[in-house]
Order: sequence, then structure tokens, then C-alpha cells
Amino acid sequence: MSPNASDAVGRAERRDTAADVPRRRRTPVPVRQAVVLSGLAVGAVVVSAASWAGTPVTVGNVGGMVVVGLSLGAIYAVSASGLVVVYTTTGVFNFAQGAVGMYWAFVYWELRVNRGWPAPVALALVVLVLAPLGGVLLDRAVMRRLRNLPLVLQLMVTVGLMVAFMGIAATQWQGDRGRTVLPFFGHTGSFEVIGVTVTWHRLITILVAAAIALLLRLLLFRARLGVAMRAVVDSRSLAALNGANGEAVSATAWAIGSSLAAVAGILIAPESQLVVDVLTLVVIDAFAAAAVGRMRSLPWTFAGALLLGVGQQFIRRFLSFDDGFANMHEALPTILLFVVVILLPQAQLRARGVSAQLARRTLRLTDVKESTVGVAALFMLVLAWTGGTLPFTDAWSSVGINRGVTMMVTAIIMLSLVPLTGWAGQVSFAPLAFAGVGAVIFAKITGDTGSAYGLVLAAALTAPVGALMALPAVRLQGLYLALASMAFARGFELLFFTQTAVIDPNRGGRQFAPLSIGGWELTGTGRGYLLALTVVFGAMVTGLVALRRSRWGRRWVAMKDSEAAAATLGINVIETKVAVFVLSAAMAGFGGALFGLQVGTLNVLQFELLVGLPIVLLLVVGGVSLPAAALFGGVNTVLFIVIKDRWDYSWLSALEVLGPGIMAVVMVLNPAGAVAEIGRGFARFLPWRADARAAYAAEVAANREPEPGELGLSRPFTAADMVATERALSVANELARPGHDGAAAAMTVERPAP
Amino acid sequence: MTGTMTGDGRRARLEARGVTVRFGGLAALSDASVDVRAGEVVGLIGPNGAGKTTLFDVICGLRAPDAGSVVLEGADITGRSVHRRARLGIARTFQKLEVFGNLSAVDNVRVAVEMRRRWDRSPMRPLAEAAAVLERVGIAAVAGEAVAGLPTGTARLVELARALATNPRVLLLDEPSSGLDDSETSEVAGLVRSLCDDGLAVLLVEHDMSFVMDICERIFVLDFGRIIAEGSPQDVRVDPAVQAAYLGTEAAPMNGHRQAP
Ligand SMILES: Nc1ncnc2c1ncn2[C@@H]1O[C@H](COP(=O)(O)OP(=O)(O)O)[C@@H](O)[C@H]1O
Ligand SMILES: [Mg+2]
Repeated sequence: MSPNASDAVGRAERRDTAADVPRRRRTPVPVRQAVVLSGLAVGAVVVSAASWAGTPVTVGNVGGMVVVGLSLGAIYAVSASGLVVVYTTTGVFNFAQGAVGMYWAFVYWELRVNRGWPAPVALALVVLVLAPLGGVLLDRAVMRRLRNLPLVLQLMVTVGLMVAFMGIAATQWQGDRGRTVLPFFGHTGSFEVIGVTVTWHRLITILVAAAIALLLRLLLFRARLGVAMRAVVDSRSLAALNGANGEAVSATAWAIGSSLAAVAGILIAPESQLVVDVLTLVVIDAFAAAAVGRMRSLPWTFAGALLLGVGQQFIRRFLSFDDGFANMHEALPTILLFVVVILLPQAQLRARGVSAQLARRTLRLTDVKESTVGVAALFMLVLAWTGGTLPFTDAWSSVGINRGVTMMVTAIIMLSLVPLTGWAGQVSFAPLAFAGVGAVIFAKITGDTGSAYGLVLAAALTAPVGALMALPAVRLQGLYLALASMAFARGFELLFFTQTAVIDPNRGGRQFAPLSIGGWELTGTGRGYLLALTVVFGAMVTGLVALRRSRWGRRWVAMKDSEAAAATLGINVIETKVAVFVLSAAMAGFGGALFGLQVGTLNVLQFELLVGLPIVLLLVVGGVSLPAAALFGGVNTVLFIVIKDRWDYSWLSALEVLGPGIMAVVMVLNPAGAVAEIGRGFARFLPWRADARAAYAAEVAANREPEPGELGLSRPFTAADMVATERALSVANELARPGHDGAAAAMTVERPAP
Repeated sequence: MTGTMTGDGRRARLEARGVTVRFGGLAALSDASVDVRAGEVVGLIGPNGAGKTTLFDVICGLRAPDAGSVVLEGADITGRSVHRRARLGIARTFQKLEVFGNLSAVDNVRVAVEMRRRWDRSPMRPLAEAAAVLERVGIAAVAGEAVAGLPTGTARLVELARALATNPRVLLLDEPSSGLDDSETSEVAGLVRSLCDDGLAVLLVEHDMSFVMDICERIFVLDFGRIIAEGSPQDVRVDPAVQAAYLGTEAAPMNGHRQAP
């Protein structure tokens, strides 16, 4: 490497550490990290000693652990490196990486097993042709539009893609069981080294990962395009200016990412099963590995992946946990993710300048009076519907009532995200974990007495769990917070709800007595319950409307728009974040208790991470900062169920995931949210909304074609315009530097040559 | 710790002492010291990239310095968090806007007033108070509008109003006139002067030299992270080191955007 090139690399690294996510404070001795790490090491040793299964430590056993672990780790590494390549070059973190791999694994099964193609042909077609094409298509159709959206929406769209892919696969390949992909060279193809059996498949897996590591290294450091890709990492704005080149880079990144996902999916299919959920969740392993590499270092990502694979095998072979913790090996990536997140240095408050997330048109805030009228109307509607006076009169059948209850309960749980994600900007994929905690607490404490105080208790006792999740949250921002919340939800699914003391799987029957309020008995499936839920929902909506107009609401929104500026006004950002997490958890816990009343019996499956995702997505599609969006989300949740039941076509079987997934992906075209759009269109017909009519007229005028000779400069220069200008100027700055060849350009541009 | 007595014996309200900040190998600030007294407007000028904004970040707590300290009225506040400093009376505006885009102009200010109520016990009605501050800054007309849609200059004034609403003892203004038209600029100048008459200490970064020369009593010149000159506008204007720093700008004196030689 020429001295010049190494200099550029050195500079690039400097920029990496100083200027990009994660923000870190440089301490000479990372004391906290050391303490946490040694604490964890001690913990791991203690846990291992306590759960030692007594498997003899022989060469065969240890060797087997290493071989199987490395091959698993190799698969995680392949998937994770796709994640890293895409994230560093395009800035989009692809939550759908696992789902994409899952999809291509199914396609491979279709060709190889179902149609009997020879393996090399099927492989080449999927990995080298179809998957890259799919990646490019995704880039063109969706990802490119994401760049200027706020992070919350970026995350939601790729999560939507993940859910949509799950839906597509489940639709295309009905009946999600019983498919197998044979290992390469079959189950019997293996050889022995020093008493350790190595199957060809595992050897191939490890070799493939090594080859991919080498190829990526060569591509990124030798090939022209790769150098361009790294340049994008250094300076996205500069690359953005290089128009076509930037597009080629982005398309290549997605093609590579998709292809790597396919390789991982195909390699892991024989090791696990060809099941949609299982393969999709490989992405959590990939997240953990990528997080070890801080989302940008490929060598560290590989190291993390291998550690993870071997660690899982260690747990499987040498440890034994009792029932509640039987999922420990599956939970390892979640734990690793959490550990990495905790080791991350405190995110620094940072002035970033107004970002592109500024909505030009801010919605007028609903006032309490309007909201009261609205929820009263909703109540009348539900009353009429349950009374059978409306069409769809099967409504008041028990099935119909139950759906109505599902709708309201879902909407109430969704409401918990409105202050958290909508106002305070804290992404959480874990509302169902909180709901589950609430349901469990309610069941334990007062479920079988039917006391309404139990509901209050469920909310109050779930609140501290929210504070627990706020712990990582106050230290993190954006992407890492979203990942932490996923890890949180998955951790609860694998390690908490599985405890017999929490949810006893052997206990059948209803765990909840009918709720008694003021002499009324409400069973969880009755008409009275639905009406009561409507009232509760209405009260919560109105309460949120009032809260948004209170100083807490303003403070949360201010913190979302600029944490740095909020802090310079004396706002304690940590305290403010914890408050909103606590509120959100309490609301979700309350909703979970209501859910428990409805279903009667709790089980682990109800609160899984993947079950929760469509709920989050549908709320965001409605418009995450609007309480009314929760109703939209609830209605849509039920609508998909109704459609599926009414028209019993097999291609509708996965509609409950397919629908929300596709809606979330389409949201990229309408970031404000459906309810906001509908509301805007509708408001001008309300007699008292002269402002809406004026805004509409202004919009029509603004969209009018300019007359010939009229300059388009009459529009005021807005903050968002300034963002664009600033960006262009900084690019110009970088370009102005003679022979712009590195990252530190912006720092030095105004300096005269020494 | 006692504050340094400055030249004429008045005690500094705010001092940054020997501040050093490094980004990787680049020293954005090296041993930079500035001070500002009550009722004084102090200018901080220097070419782009000189470290002015970084110094503001250090003073308000957004960036921990590698060396040096920040002293407010004799008390060392270097270790305090951003919000604590704000409560002690340090307020600022940002060169790159940091408005609350999703809130209306009056709500931007109201957030500040409502926070202030926590430590400043004087009775007040936040909304009325916020409206009054907007009035004072001259943008009462856009009170109800979302800040994201406002012209840059107006948004800058919203930031100024928001900073004032914390009732600060020290005000840091980072390029307040950029994006403002001439009449708005002179209004801001008038406002800053009247604030100082009320005893506020103002530290001002500005590229508009006539604005700086007009309004400041003292000026610090920063270049490559070092203070290269300090003094009255007249002194600074003729200082050879300053002339050299603004290389090749004799024709267009100190517009801050240096041409490549
Ligand atoms: N977050 C950062 N990471 C790396 N370098 C930075 C960062 N912020 C500022 N710098 C560099 O520090 C120097 C001083 O910047 P700044 O304080 O913004 O200058 P000024 O406000 O005087 O124009 C510049 O060279 C700038 O590029
Ligand atoms: Mg600056």
C-alpha cells in the first residue's frame, strides 16, 4: 500500500472514531468496560459451574463443540457481514437481513428439493443471480427513498420488510413444517480428525465463510468499487454528490448484502429447520455479531459471530438448565447483544443541526374537547354495533364481540407507544413484553378475584420494568436503542415467560375471574367488556391528548427534536427519558392485563417478539405520534383477521403478517402516517376548522404550476432548505480541497497550506 | 476558587481557562482562554474551523475538554452536566439550528420557561411569559407556526428567544446574524445591547464584521484553536497577527471565508 493510501486509511479511521455513531467519550483506561467484562466473566463461570451437565471433557466433545460452533458462527458471520456492508455503505440498517435469507433458502428448497434441480445449478441461480437481483430491486424500490427519512421510519420500514418477507414466504410455501434441506453431501458425508466427526457440510460452511471474508477484504481494499464503498463510509455527502457512482455503490451493497443473506439462509437451513420464524430470527445472531463489530468492523463482526457459535455449542453440550431456562443457548445472542450495548460508551449529547426529519407541515394538535367528542362518537358506534343495529350483524355474535375486544386491547397496547416513540422518539419493539408482564402480574395478584384494583396494580408494577429498559435507553440513541429493545423483547420471550413460576404451562383453564366493577360482572369476551374497553380506550386517548398539550408532552417532543438544545434549557434528558419509558410500560402493562382477561389463559407464544412487530408497525403506519392512530392500528389488526376468515383462500393465510409488513414498507411513500393524511383531508370539512381550509388552499396554490415568467423564489427559505444548502456547502468544501482524497477534508479546507 | 480579576478590576462572570480539545490528531482548541464580564458583549472571531463553536460546546457542557476549566462567577463548573449549567444560567444558540421543529414557535420558548419555573421560583404564567419573550425578539407574529416551516432567520430568532427565556446570566450566541436580513440584524444588535444594559454577559461568535465591531467591547481572535489576539475592536482590527490569520483578505476585510492562497 502506498504511503498515501495508508494515510487516507488512517484518517478514515480517525473520522470513524470521532465523528460517527456511536458517540464515545475517550477515556484512557476504560474502567467501566473492564469492570463489566470481568463481572460478566465471573458470572459466566459461576453459571457454568452451577449448571454443569457432567458431560466428560474429552477431545471428541470439545472438538465437536468447536467444529459445530465454528460452522454455526460462520453462518452468523456471513449474514452479519452482509448487514455491515449495507449499513456502512448506505446508512440503512437492514432488520430484514434474516428474513431475506429465509426467503432465498425457501427458493433454494423449491428448486433443489421440490423441483429436483442439481445443487450447484440451484445454488448458483439463487446466490449469484436471484438474490443479488432482489437486493438491487429492494434498493431501487424502497431503500433509496429511506435515506432522508428520520431514523424511526427507516427502522420501521426495514422491520416492515422483514415481516412482509415472512408473510410472502408463508403464503408461497403454505404449511410451515416438514420441509428439509439436506446438508451438502447428505447426512453421512463426513470424515474424522483426531476423533472428531466433521461433516462435509460443516467444513464447507466454514470454508465458505473464510472465502467470503477474504473476498470482502479484497473487494473493499483492492477493487475500485470497494474503495468507492469505503469512501461513502467516510463521507456520505461527498459520495451523494457523485450521483451515478453513489447509486452504483448502493446497488452493489444491497446486491452483496442480499447474496450473503441467501448464503447464510441456505447454509443454516439443514442445521435448523426450514421454518419461517426460525430462519428469520437468525438475524438476531447477526445483530449480536455486528454489534460486536460496532456495525462497521468486519473482522470484529466475524470474531463476534464465531464466539457466539461456539458459545451456543458450549451451552448445548456442557451445560444443562432446568425447564425455565431451557432456551439458554438460543438466548445467548440476545444476551451478547445486551452486553455489547451496555459496554457501549455513553452516547454524547450532540448538536447535530436541524435534521431532515423536520416535517414541513406540523399537525395542529387536537384539543381535549375535540377528542372527547370523537371518543363519544366511537362509543356510540360500538354501542350500536354490539347491539346489532349496524350491518355486519354477526358483530354481536361471540366471535364478533371477541374481535371487537381484540381490536380495543390491541389499540390500548399500541397507545403505550404514542408518547414513547411518537413524542419522545424512543424506538421500542418491546410493547408486548411489557404487556406480558402486566398480564402475568394481574393473573398472579388479583386475576382470580376479579378485582379491578388488579388492573391498577398491573400498570403500577409494570412501570419499574419500563425503568429497567430505560437503563440502556438513556445511554443509547437511535439504532442501538432499537436493537436493545428487540433484545429485551426476545430475552423476555426466551427466559422470562418460559419460567413455570411466571406462566405455568401445565395450568389449563381460565386464570382470570370476570372483572367486577361497581356490581357489574364483566367477562373477558362479553359485550359489556367491549363497551367498558371502549370507554377505557377513549379515556386514555383523551388523557394522551391532554398530556401532549401539557409541559411533559412538549418536553418529550423537544427532546426528540434536539436533545442537545433541550439540555441547554435545563432539561435533564435522562430523567425525562426514564419518565416516558415508565409511562409507556405502565400503559402497556395495563393493556396486557386487559388482554389476559380476554384470553383467559396465558401462554408463552402470546408475547413473542415476532407477534409484537405487526402491532408496532400498524401503529406507525397510522402515524405514531397520534393517539387516533392506535384505533387505526386496532381496526386494521382485526380487519386482516376478518378478511382472512371470511374469504378462506389459502393465499390469505399469512395476511396478518403480510398486511402490516406491506403497509409498513409502503409507508416510505407517506411518512406522515395514514391517520394524519386522512385527518388533513377530512379536517377542512369541519365547520370550525377554517385553519384547515386555509392550509388546503395554500397547498393547492403551492402545487399550482408556476406561470411562465414567474420565478419559483417566492417561497420562504425554510429550515429544511437550509439543511439542504448546508449539506451542499459541506460537499463543496470537501471538493474544493486540492486532490480531495480523504475524510478530514472538511476540517482543513479553509486552512492555507502550511 | 475565586474568579480572576480582569484588567479594570471587575470580576469575570464567565471564564474559560486554558481549554484544549482534540479530535483525534487535530487540536480544535489549544489552551484557549476567554472571559466575559456582566453587562459586556465580547466577540469571538476567527476563520472557519478555528474552534469557536467547539469552545461554545465546552462552555455549555456539550463537550468535555481534554484540558482546562470553565468557571462561572468564581465556581468551577467543568464537571457539571449540560442541564445543570443551564440551570446555573448558561444559555446558548446554535450555529446549525437546533430548534424544536415539531413544536410551534411559542412552544419552543414555552418549554424553556416551564423548565425555568423549576429553579426560578418567581410566579409566572409560562404561556404569557413565552409570548412576551417572542414579542421582545420581534417574532410574535409567527407564535403559532411550526418552526420547521419558518424561514431560517426567523428560526434563529426563535432560538434566541428560547435562550432568553431561561433568564440566563451568560448568553452564548453562535453566528446570530447569519440568515437574517439587514433590518433583522440591526434589531438583534439593539436587543443584545439592551440585554447587556440589564447586566447580561454575552459572548458572541459572528462573521459579520461590521456587526461585531459595532457591538462588542472586547474581541478575542481564535485561529487554529489558539487565541492570537485580544482587545478592543480598534486594536484587533489593526493587529498584524489577525491580519495574517485572515490571509489575503485585506481587500475584503475579515469576511471569515478565506480564499485559498
Ligand atoms: N465532532 C467533530 N469531530 C471531528 N472534528 C471536529 C468535530 N467538530 C469540529 N471538528 C473540527 O474542529 C475544528 C473546529 O471546529 P469548529 O469549532 O466548528 O470551528 P468554528 O466554529 O470556528 O468554525 C474544525 O477543524 C472542525 O472540523
Ligand atoms: Mg462554528
